[in-house]
Amino acid sequence: MAEVHIVGQIVGASGFPDHSLFCKWGINTGGAWKALAGLREGQTQVDTPQQHDAAYWAHPIDIHYATKGLQGWPKIHFQVWHQDSFGRNELYGYGFCHVPTTPGMHEIECPTWRPSGSFKEQVSQYFLGGGPQLKNPDLIYSGADRYRLHTIAMGSVHVRLGVILRNFDKYGIEC
Amino acid sequence: MADKKKKTKRLIENEEDEEAGVTNPSMDEEAEAAQHQSGGESSVEQVDETHEAESLIKDLKTKHLSKQKELSKVKSPKEDLAKELRTIKQQSRDKVDETIRQEEAELSATEDGTVPMPTEEEELGESQPTDSIVTFAETTTELETEEAVVKKLKRKKEKVEEEEVLPLKDEDEETTKKEEAPPPPETVPPPQEEPPKPPPQEDVKTPRGLKASMKARLRKAKEEAAAEAEQEQKEEEKKERQLKRDKDKKKTRFDQPEVDEAELEEKTRAFKSRLKKKQPLEEKFRMELKSKGVFMPTAEEAFDFFTHDFEPEPEEPKPEVEEKEEEEKEEEEEKKEGEEEEGEEGEGEEDKKKKKEKEEDEVPLMEDVDEEGYGFYAVRKAEYDDTPETAKKEAEKLYYPSVTSVNAEEKAKILHDKQPRFLEDEGFYVGTRPKISGWNVNKMENRLIKELHREKWFGEDGRMIVLPNPLRPTPSRPPIPEEQEPGLEVQYRKAIMHEFDSRYIDGSLDNAGYYQLDVDINSLSFSHHHLFSREHVLATRLSQLYEEYMDRQKKNMAEYLSEKLKALKLSAVHLKDHMAAKKSEHNYADRSNFQKRLQDYKDEIRRARALRDKEEKTDRLLLKAIIKTWKDIKQQREKQKFINTPLKLQVITEETNKEFDLTQWKLEIEDELEEMEEEATEIYNRKKTEYEEALKKHAEQVKAKEDARVRIHKRSRKQSTKGSRASLGSKASKHSAENEPNPEEEAKDQEILNEPEIEIPDKPEEFNKEQARKDIIAKAKEIRRRPGEPKLYPEVTSTQPITEASKCPRGEQQRRNDVSKCEMFLKVLFNNKEVSRTSSKPLTQEFKLNFGQIFSLKIVQWPESITYQVYETSGFGGEIICEINSSIPDSSVTSQSVQLENLDFSSDHRVNHGHEGVGSGVPFSFGAKNEGTETLYTTGELRCSVAWAINDQGELLVPPSTQEQGNMFYAMRKMDPVTAIGAAGVVDIQKLAKWFEDSRLDPNDPANADLVYMLKSKGGESALLGPKEFFRLEQLQEEFNFCDDEAIDENKRFRLIYLRDSEVTEFKNYKMIPLLDRDIPRDTFAEYEKKKREEEKYKEEKDIESHRAAVSKFMQRVREQVIRRFRLLAHQRRLEDVINEEAVPNIALLGTSVLKLTERRRPLRVERKERKKVVPQTIDNVKILININRAVYVPRRVAASRGGAMTAREPDKAVKNIVGETQVQPFIEVMFQDVFLHTEVGDGPNPSYNEELEMPFKAPNEDYTPGNLQTVTDNIYLNLFDQVLIDIQEDDRQRGTTVHQRIEKKWLGGLTIPFSTVYFNGKIDGTFKLNKPPVLLGYTQGPDEEEGTSLRSNEENTYLSVFMTIEPPLQPPEPMRERFATTEDEKLLQYADNWEKTLNAKFSDREYKTTVIDVNGKTVFVTRYFKALEPPPDIFGSSDTEVKKMEVVARYVSMIPSVSDSVVFPGLCDIWSTCDQFLQMMAGDEEEHAVLLANYFLYMKKITWLIIGKGIPEGPTAYVMTEQENDYWIWNAGTGEHFSYRDSYCPLQSISCLINAENIWANVQQYEKPAQMNFDLSQGASWRSFFTRSFPNTGIASYQPERLYYKPTNKNAVLDLQEKIETLLKNKIMEWRSRLITRWNRHCTQIMRKLLPVLEENLGHSPGEQHLAELESTFSAYKVSGFPINMPYNEINPIVDAVFSTRVHAHDTSDVEFALAVYIHPYPNDVLSVWVYVASLIRSR
Repeated sequence: MAEVHIVGQIVGASGFPDHSLFCKWGINTGGAWKALAGLREGQTQVDTPQQHDAAYWAHPIDIHYATKGLQGWPKIHFQVWHQDSFGRNELYGYGFCHVPTTPGMHEIECPTWRPSGSFKEQVSQYFLGGGPQLKNPDLIYSGADRYRLHTIAMGSVHVRLGVILRNFDKYGIEC
Repeated sequence: MADKKKKTKRLIENEEDEEAGVTNPSMDEEAEAAQHQSGGESSVEQVDETHEAESLIKDLKTKHLSKQKELSKVKSPKEDLAKELRTIKQQSRDKVDETIRQEEAELSATEDGTVPMPTEEEELGESQPTDSIVTFAETTTELETEEAVVKKLKRKKEKVEEEEVLPLKDEDEETTKKEEAPPPPETVPPPQEEPPKPPPQEDVKTPRGLKASMKARLRKAKEEAAAEAEQEQKEEEKKERQLKRDKDKKKTRFDQPEVDEAELEEKTRAFKSRLKKKQPLEEKFRMELKSKGVFMPTAEEAFDFFTHDFEPEPEEPKPEVEEKEEEEKEEEEEKKEGEEEEGEEGEGEEDKKKKKEKEEDEVPLMEDVDEEGYGFYAVRKAEYDDTPETAKKEAEKLYYPSVTSVNAEEKAKILHDKQPRFLEDEGFYVGTRPKISGWNVNKMENRLIKELHREKWFGEDGRMIVLPNPLRPTPSRPPIPEEQEPGLEVQYRKAIMHEFDSRYIDGSLDNAGYYQLDVDINSLSFSHHHLFSREHVLATRLSQLYEEYMDRQKKNMAEYLSEKLKALKLSAVHLKDHMAAKKSEHNYADRSNFQKRLQDYKDEIRRARALRDKEEKTDRLLLKAIIKTWKDIKQQREKQKFINTPLKLQVITEETNKEFDLTQWKLEIEDELEEMEEEATEIYNRKKTEYEEALKKHAEQVKAKEDARVRIHKRSRKQSTKGSRASLGSKASKHSAENEPNPEEEAKDQEILNEPEIEIPDKPEEFNKEQARKDIIAKAKEIRRRPGEPKLYPEVTSTQPITEASKCPRGEQQRRNDVSKCEMFLKVLFNNKEVSRTSSKPLTQEFKLNFGQIFSLKIVQWPESITYQVYETSGFGGEIICEINSSIPDSSVTSQSVQLENLDFSSDHRVNHGHEGVGSGVPFSFGAKNEGTETLYTTGELRCSVAWAINDQGELLVPPSTQEQGNMFYAMRKMDPVTAIGAAGVVDIQKLAKWFEDSRLDPNDPANADLVYMLKSKGGESALLGPKEFFRLEQLQEEFNFCDDEAIDENKRFRLIYLRDSEVTEFKNYKMIPLLDRDIPRDTFAEYEKKKREEEKYKEEKDIESHRAAVSKFMQRVREQVIRRFRLLAHQRRLEDVINEEAVPNIALLGTSVLKLTERRRPLRVERKERKKVVPQTIDNVKILININRAVYVPRRVAASRGGAMTAREPDKAVKNIVGETQVQPFIEVMFQDVFLHTEVGDGPNPSYNEELEMPFKAPNEDYTPGNLQTVTDNIYLNLFDQVLIDIQEDDRQRGTTVHQRIEKKWLGGLTIPFSTVYFNGKIDGTFKLNKPPVLLGYTQGPDEEEGTSLRSNEENTYLSVFMTIEPPLQPPEPMRERFATTEDEKLLQYADNWEKTLNAKFSDREYKTTVIDVNGKTVFVTRYFKALEPPPDIFGSSDTEVKKMEVVARYVSMIPSVSDSVVFPGLCDIWSTCDQFLQMMAGDEEEHAVLLANYFLYMKKITWLIIGKGIPEGPTAYVMTEQENDYWIWNAGTGEHFSYRDSYCPLQSISCLINAENIWANVQQYEKPAQMNFDLSQGASWRSFFTRSFPNTGIASYQPERLYYKPTNKNAVLDLQEKIETLLKNKIMEWRSRLITRWNRHCTQIMRKLLPVLEENLGHSPGEQHLAELESTFSAYKVSGFPINMPYNEINPIVDAVFSTRVHAHDTSDVEFALAVYIHPYPNDVLSVWVYVASLIRSR
């Protein structure tokens, strides 16, 4: 019965090889959570920055959850995509972060990674674009063993989230 | 000694650094090698020697330690000195090591004569001798005293010291330097070759030894050999160095140690290989060794070798063996030595390396010279400071077990002096021991011996207990599976462009799976081609005929049928016999049964015979035709004198037996005859009885008639006699009166006479046997082979030689030339895009082409069409002959299962040839003799196939089958898995299982066995048929929950938030939701839940209301469906929705605006400014501005002074109005959302108000977004009232001082404008006709007689000029711009788009409609909506004239309630439902009404169009136009009215286009008002038609149903409803005037009830005068004001509203009476016309 209200924005991304980026995001929760209002997933615009140090999306996030338990605390996952000069889109990174559990404003930097392919794929990626993608994007936030997955670190997504909690103290959870 | 050795090793490591792993063993080997040198020494000495050596080692160790201490003391003050000392020490250590090793080697060598040793004799030979000499010296000295040895060693050291003071300084550095920049090869000998130099010094010194002479000789020989090798090596080394130097130069000094190592390694390797190549001697040995089963030692093998070597048991005292070995050694000394030396290949290298260092000592100057450039990096030295220190420390702490084998004594001790026991020798299997180098074994043993319980480590054989070798002989690595975890799978995806196009299978171009269509184009053959010669034409005909013949021959239907006939006859005969035989036994039922069967047989026989005859006839005709064609061909060939086709017909004749034939023939004929006769008799008999009966009846009738006539005659006679005898007396008359003919009787008689005469049927003819026989014979002759006639079997072969071209006439030659020039190819078009084409093939003289090409099309778009285009080329360019469409294969058609199919094609191209070719589409004849001409078009057959491909894995490359959803089988498949299996063979097992479960089939039922089996085989019973198994995904969830699900679901706040978020209408606009649950009102969800419940339950009631409810439910369903379908589209935002980009003003506009600046200011010239549309969020206080200008032709009061009711009927009685006296005092009252506003009271029938009323507007839920606004259903009611002041002064005395009046409002007419109209149009401006009751008691209309103007038609109506708009202007809803799915032809749509665009460019404000959206959300071409549909047949009633009928129909249509689409389908565009849907929903807006009306008119054979235009007040609307003679009538389908197009008060303001089933005509005239327009549609200047000659209408099928079905309206229900409404209205009126008493005048109600049906009959026009008179006379005592209201029935509420808005009830007195009558006229299909007549009566005083 406790409520969590997440209000914030996906500010942007930095540290990617190129900053003509857009981002697909989604919020994943456990079964005890019920989204009352707001969009649980979305996609930002493509930002093509003039100064190539970061991309800014300023994409609003506003979700209201009701929960009957703490398990499955909401996680935000991202897929950063790059749009190249031909207008083609390719994956640049996956990442996820938990929604902070303390109320208040939070600046989150969510590092991202992308799968590295075989040598051949890397070569074709270098010349042709594209790249390996997860067949099963749940892996971004699921706790499955990934030790076999070879990844390359990419930039990070910056998120600013305000968290409002309600009624948690009723159930003996201090925040 | 061991320590020392270790130390040396360490040192070497230090010096050479990384050699570590590699060097160590080789270092050892080196020592060994040294020992091997002395292998030749006597074995007797050995034991002693070893002992001595052992002790020596110890002594040396201690001494060395002491010496080291000394040295270290010396060293500490002076670094340089220490260095020197170190090197000296090292050298000495080396020496010592060598001696030790020598001893060891001796031991091993003596024990094992066959030790396989690597090669490399030569250098070793060179290097070793030096060492060996030293060792010899040492060994000998050993014998003397240790002291001496030490001394000597010391001496040696000193000597070396002396000698090498200089070079030693920088020893390490120099080694590295040397590597870096090696000295020129001439001056510096390669390290390997150094050894010879230092040893000689020693050599000279200690030339002692037992076998010295031998050795010396050997050495010499070796030296010689070595010298040669050396030379070569030097050269090679030189080269290599050169190379390396280049490389090394790049490196910095700090890298040196590594570089050195690498280099050394490389060198050694290179050297080894070189050596291997070079030495023949070595080769020899190797061969030998090989023969012994020993492998060739490469470097690695050499290393391995040492691990192999563990057999020798050095401790075993076996004198005999030793002796033997000694002998052998003696013999093979040379060789062995060589061998041994060889075995030290690696060792040798190490040796060399070491020696290289030594060499540095000798050639330092050279080095220095070379190194000068680099030589000052003295810093280095510090690094090696600690080496002796570490060595010392290591010596203190580390224990190095000796590598020498454990001496025998020790071993014996372990074995407790028992004889070792060899299990293997005793025949036990012991397995192979792991291969461990002897040294390592020795080391281990040495270590273990020092253990506490050492016995347990050694076996009975005195060796270490070792497990069998667990190693594999060959190196291998277990394969590591590269499989990926399913969750971690990564897929390479190309960078993709997103395409939001439904045509793509996977949504985008690149994202696709792999789908492939295989198009197989096999061959093309022409059945006619324009290059055919006449002969070809005939030949094709012949071959076609022959083919058919063969086909028939194959089927042989005639034969089959005659067999059948025979069989039938036989069984018939059999049955007959049976019946005859057992007649007595059968009862009646049986008999009749048999009879029936016999009859059946007979029928069957007859049928079979008829069929056979037909078949035979066809066969024969075919045969005839073949022969005739062949004859024609022959004729043709003769005529043209050449042969063109290889066809040849041979007729094989089979002679027949004439006799037999004849009998058969006759038999057959007789048979048939008999049958015929039988049948004929039957018919005859039946007919005869009929005839007889008829005859009988006829006779009776005749008789009866005769009688009747007689009777009548009699009667008439009697009459006349009676008349004549009237005077004869009463008696007679009385008698006659008795005889008075009964009128009934008379009538009866008359009737009898009048009866139509029974016709006498023709007498049936008897069966004419002769005639029948003749007929049969004639028929047989025609269809059957005549007896004796030979049987003919035609056979067409292609054996006829074709005349060579040279022998042909010119025309033919030309033709053949053309044929050979002609080439064909095919293009394959996928979705109308060329995807591939076949190669061009020349046309053969047979007009056949073989392509045999298969095209694999990888597709990304949904397949829509596959088309082949046949092209013909002759010379350049190709000409398309025709297009052939192929169907898209079903998903079950695969390239493996597909069959080639023949597609016929034909082309209508006209080709004419000057030569023999007959051309195509051109008439030709076969010459003079053949009658008539023929015209043939190019035709042919394409053999091809299209199928889905299958890939290597056998997967079908078919896109997922969404395309099949349209297929009717789709649903079936979904439902019935068994069908599905049959249909495609691909089943969803899961679905099947589910279905199986759902349908509760008995798994034990044998009928279901197949299914059960299939389900079992796929997933096992437990998987599909068993109970489902669950597993918990989130463990411990329950335990940690705060609350349960209900708490969340029930929470009102959460619910409210959720519903608001999901945009449920009721909660969509909830602004604030209370923070606390308790603040939320309890009834928040009441309404919502009620609605929900209602949706679920279904009322089954029988009255009209419930029907309406059902209809509205249906509408709701449709609406929901449509909304759902549109929602996605609506949510797809386009760029324009997100970005508001101001269009860049073009240059021209800029120019004009600049010019404007220069213009003179004209303050009086007001210019219109566009009002800015407001964003919905910022709006509040919205008003509707209603500007009421004026009203005209308001009805006038009939002067009240006369008392009683006045009507228009009696104008003459009216007192003329004197100026000043009020005729009427009209005012307008506006009602909207329960707010009333009214204008000032005007004066006279044409008042002018010019008043602006501000009507507040409140959107539901305060939501001013377009989506919400367009659902507003409120109407703006404008009512015209007459304000009547009634003096109610009771007391006349007060008249002077008081005014006591009552104001009464009399309703004169009204106008209803839906809010949506205002909203969509932005504004409404115009003069509107008021809806006026047909009967308005007390008022009159029309011109004043005074004015004397003639009555004009439009003066019957009252008009109101109004301007309405919303302030601030609200954003109108955006029309849906998305393109909807469609089944229309793409070309048509494109053309329509263009057409619209070009027209819109010219007339932007006219709406041209070509496509509309149907209920299914699909785009439909508009002309599809037109089709003649029958109106309900029983509505015409008494109407006779055409016009009347039309009016009735129009009225019927107008009585269907009108609801705006935007209300029905909020947020959507205009949706056109078809007529049946319209009638079903009983609601629609103008288009539906108009379409239905137009379709009715079409049925009535009127020339009808649908008008798309703008009307008042609807805005964009649809009207119907019909052509009447000389006039066009414009029908408003919503009201049923019609106007002439000239009528300027016609509510239709503009016409954009006319539509009917054939075409669309766009108005391109200057004017758009109907009155100003020209309706000659053929004029291109006025009307642009859609289908033109260049784009003809190819016949677009109608979208409307075949016919409409009307269900009759339940009359009783209607009466009930009527009752209900009346009671309700009465109650309402009483409620409205609850303060006062309401009396009902029943008499008046009665009259009204009578009047209302009349009004309906008059279609709402005012009834005849008679009725009015009746009404008036009744109410002469009253002042009556009242009127009938008519409206279509939809719901009750609007009726109540309408009554309320007339304000009839608003009489604030009690002395008023009311009358109310309701009449509902039922039209078919529950269309109801409701009439309400309300009146107030005030008794006149």
